[in-house]
Amino acid sequence: MTQVGASLALGICASWLGFVVAGFVLPSFSAALIGGAFGVTLAWPLRQRLLSTGAVAIFAPFGVMLPALALRHLAVSLGVDVPGFSSLELFAFLMAYILFLMAAFGLLPVDFYRLGYSAKIVGLMTLALCLYALASGNWFLALVAVGGQAVWAVGWSSSNWFDTVLHVTLVPAAFITLLMRLL
Amino acid sequence: MGSVVILGLVVLSLGLSVWTVARETPFDWRFKLSDIPETPEQQAPVFETLFDYRAPSGQAHAPCLIRNEDALSLLWFEGSAEAQADVDVYSVQVNRLGPKWSVGPKQARLTRTGLGQAMDPRQLVVTLGNTVEAGRPGEVLATIVSIGGWAMASVADVRFGSGGPEMGRKLNLSPFLNRSNLVKSPLVLFEDGDRGLPTYFELGTGYSLFARLDAQGRVRETTRLTGPGKPIQPMIVPLDAGNAVAFLRDLAGSGQLLISRSADGGRSWSHAVPAGLANTNSPVAALLLEPDQILVAANDDPTGGNRLSLLSFRPSDGVWHHLRELETGDVHARYPVLRHDGEGAILLTYSTYNKTGLRLHHFTRSWAEAGDA
Repeated sequence: MTQVGASLALGICASWLGFVVAGFVLPSFSAALIGGAFGVTLAWPLRQRLLSTGAVAIFAPFGVMLPALALRHLAVSLGVDVPGFSSLELFAFLMAYILFLMAAFGLLPVDFYRLGYSAKIVGLMTLALCLYALASGNWFLALVAVGGQAVWAVGWSSSNWFDTVLHVTLVPAAFITLLMRLL
Repeated sequence: MGSVVILGLVVLSLGLSVWTVARETPFDWRFKLSDIPETPEQQAPVFETLFDYRAPSGQAHAPCLIRNEDALSLLWFEGSAEAQADVDVYSVQVNRLGPKWSVGPKQARLTRTGLGQAMDPRQLVVTLGNTVEAGRPGEVLATIVSIGGWAMASVADVRFGSGGPEMGRKLNLSPFLNRSNLVKSPLVLFEDGDRGLPTYFELGTGYSLFARLDAQGRVRETTRLTGPGKPIQPMIVPLDAGNAVAFLRDLAGSGQLLISRSADGGRSWSHAVPAGLANTNSPVAALLLEPDQILVAANDDPTGGNRLSLLSFRPSDGVWHHLRELETGDVHARYPVLRHDGEGAILLTYSTYNKTGLRLHHFTRSWAEAGDA
């Protein structure tokens, strides 16, 4: 199932990329169709070609958050109402995630990443995210948190929960989003 | 509407939590010690070189010894240069017939293409590096790179079928896309069947990691081994069910071998300190001979050099004894690996001539302890 999950995530992320590029010259719906065709092509007929195997080698494990954000952006662009994140939330996430990565690089004398192997702690972290989602009315956040827990529980991805709800490409993504909101 | 969805997700999460907590078996933090073959009382001093190989071109480096059902294999990586996109893993079979040893022909054991097709999920493998025994027949743990150099490496659990690798999966050891973890030394076993993998993180400050793998080969827990400098390439030797020592190479170049100790079955490790042996930034191999005696192969030349010595280390008081100087001068012996041969003697392999060749020796403990002539 790891292969299926990776192909699905790759297809979604590639669809989003195709949508963004096509969106410069085409209306949203047409761009979504072209993006979707690109994503499906990459994830299935070309799954054994260098472009796909290279992308999987570099970006896997994709987790749930990255494809979920790609789908959210697509949906919002097509007029579907999906809750997002405030600038304050994005800033807080960015700071916390950078500290998390610094700890992983040994720059801080703590190891947050290892908490993601433990069922009890994963349960508590998911519950905490759900309660925050409930307080802020953001069902998208709860969906990603529980989706990540489900994928982690059935063993379809990483054995560490953090890999299912985070991805290093979220650092530039959050930074660019914040920058664009400032400009 | 949104609140109802979130409450539904909360219920689902609680269900998943109950399920995962219930199935999570508690760790048994007791090392399972491999049987140490008894040394015959009147063991003759024997030393023989079983394999002395020079790569026809390029480099051959990082040998390891793998025991399968009924045979021993020597594996190493070879290509134009390490970390290049033409490096594959090769092997020779090492057989014993009575008192005689024989070494079979060299063959490609693990290729980049073969492994890439066996990976789950399928992915590009650009180059291969250090490979270590996985503690189970037909399985190895390999250092693989898909982009960049060693600092972007991952550790893959590779299982072999009759025709080559039939399954490969990266171990989840780092949140940085599983990157910058490498292996050098063999793993250790736990009483409950889990395995403990000594690995190390090379990006940033550099540190070692002791990862606990379950029966499926998935990482279930990790513990860091930290200390001064950049303590990497841990060589872990369990002394009994609860105690172990880890020898660590200092990549920062302090000129000292580092040592860390665990008294709780590998659950936690002491801050690494100098072990009392000169070592200029090179990995060591170690093998438990008795409960309080470890045989170590290391470069103990304080001036750097390229010496490879056999030493005896007593973990109870940290005393070293020099036994033999195996290599010196222009041989450039590096990356040693030691293991018991199963019949009371010892096998030692390492790379030679600045990573362009390999040697495999077989010797008795009595030969090692007789010292330099």
